Amino acid sequence: MAELLMHLLPGGAEAAAQSRELTPEGQSDPFDSGIWPLHRKEFLGDPTDWANDPKVVLLGPQAAENAAHVPFILDATALASGGSRVARIVVTIDYSPIPVALTFWPGRALPLLGFGVKYEGSGPLRASAERQDGSWRMAARFVSAIGGGCTTPAAAHGRPDWQEGFGEMRARFWPDTGRLRVWLRHPQDTGLAAGIAAHHLTEMVLSDPAGEIARLELHQPVEENPAFTFQLPPGLTAPLTIRARDTMGYRFDGVVAA
Amino acid sequence: MLAGVAGAAALALPRPAQAQAKARGDYGFAPVQVAPGVWLIEGARQSLSPANGGAIANIALLETPQGAIVIDTGSTARMGAEIRAFADQRLGGVVTTLITHHHPDHWFGNAAFADAPLLSLGATALAARANAQGYSDALYALLGSWMSGTTPVPPAPRIETGRQVIAGRGLRLLPLCGHTQADLAILDEATGTLIAGDLLFLDRAPSLPDADLTLWQASLAQLGALSPAGTIPGHGPYHRSLAALTQTRACLAANDARLAQAAALGLSPAEAMAAGPVPEFARLGANPEEYHRSVSQRWSSYEDRALRKIRAA
Ligand SMILES: [Zn+2]
Repeated sequence: MAELLMHLLPGGAEAAAQSRELTPEGQSDPFDSGIWPLHRKEFLGDPTDWANDPKVVLLGPQAAENAAHVPFILDATALASGGSRVARIVVTIDYSPIPVALTFWPGRALPLLGFGVKYEGSGPLRASAERQDGSWRMAARFVSAIGGGCTTPAAAHGRPDWQEGFGEMRARFWPDTGRLRVWLRHPQDTGLAAGIAAHHLTEMVLSDPAGEIARLELHQPVEENPAFTFQLPPGLTAPLTIRARDTMGYRFDGVVAA
Repeated sequence: MLAGVAGAAALALPRPAQAQAKARGDYGFAPVQVAPGVWLIEGARQSLSPANGGAIANIALLETPQGAIVIDTGSTARMGAEIRAFADQRLGGVVTTLITHHHPDHWFGNAAFADAPLLSLGATALAARANAQGYSDALYALLGSWMSGTTPVPPAPRIETGRQVIAGRGLRLLPLCGHTQADLAILDEATGTLIAGDLLFLDRAPSLPDADLTLWQASLAQLGALSPAGTIPGHGPYHRSLAALTQTRACLAANDARLAQAAALGLSPAEAMAAGPVPEFARLGANPEEYHRSVSQRWSSYEDRALRKIRAA
């Protein structure tokens, strides 16, 4: 909980405490989705040791104001107790035409990630964290959405100048809190809109001179012009490199001062 | 002081007459004369929902010897029909209808008024036409059967601004903007009543999907300079003071400062949402929903300023 920053805004700590729906413990699916057992089998490798766990905090809106940009943040830092670190976190969306949004390997970063996704219809988004001992701990949040997220062309294609800003990267590192926020201009086309081929990011890697810090594998449901929040370990002083690539072979590199 | 205003709002309860009427499947409006010849049907200080049937925007009716000047028509065909019935039965019919701006809770009742002029600013008419289908889909999804029979009838842009006399009633029609790209405010000369559309909110959180805060604050300064005797905001109660102006101005500034602060501190939009509205305004009607919407709609412009370019396009 301490890794989330709501408390920095007046009233934020109280409001967040009231608004958070704690994930129930155990293997029952609070949203009773018929598709969840299939997703668990297909995307998580059918683990036997899995459970919903209130230690995985997942925040997002109850209703999607804009189905093309639905913001979430997940914080699995509380899972790290007991010496078993989080190896990867898989984000899936029930009943989405493309169910896997991203996989996050926190590496040397903390298992905290902010991201935005497209929503095609109402349903739960799930964050499933695999620990090094092979056990999975999850949280889910239901979003009501009217739709038009995944099968609508990227807004970029409605603008004649979309290629002008393509590949622009913005970022900032906050050393006091270990926060890194990265934004990249990219259409993130799903390939599901008529006449527009899939064109989306496939990977983003953070590194410093000591090597890779964290890695993201990205898929079509990630929002257009995506932004990500990372939580980096204390004591980073060297510049951080952000590298991304997409399905068409474009590469995007940027450096931010730590 | 602001907390006091917001606190009073949270205590306001729905009028019993209206609650009973809704159980029968109609709105059961009880229009109130707030100044001589100025009638108000006050909307619920909430977001659109089946519980309020979409009746969230204020409707004003100005009496003239030839019938009513109707300002805004509500969210549904049935709502428009009930407003029309009141105008016909009590005010001698309808002379003309003025639409303040293009948001659907203000004009989706238009079909009931299509036999007389249905006027708006030019940009309002264009935006209403462009968004009609999307708004209709969203309202059907949000309101369900309350929407039955509702087809959007966008207003026409033939409005003349400045001082106008309509059926003998002197009005000042002010073409402003900021809540949307075109916001019509109307000053009734006989009573000094300002009918402000959604440039003003009172005890109900402002909606910001199309807002330009700088332009909006400039429009508020112009409205303040009119020194109205009373104000009818787009959402919230009539008041014989500048309470709506003061509160709207403060609420916009506080929301702006909160999102700027959140982005500058490195929060993600999901955290900014979870933190909830500025505490002084947390108890306004339609919060925290409107605050959550404002984060969704406006976050990128704040983050643009907070982040630095590290790779050119
Ligand atoms: Zn409006």
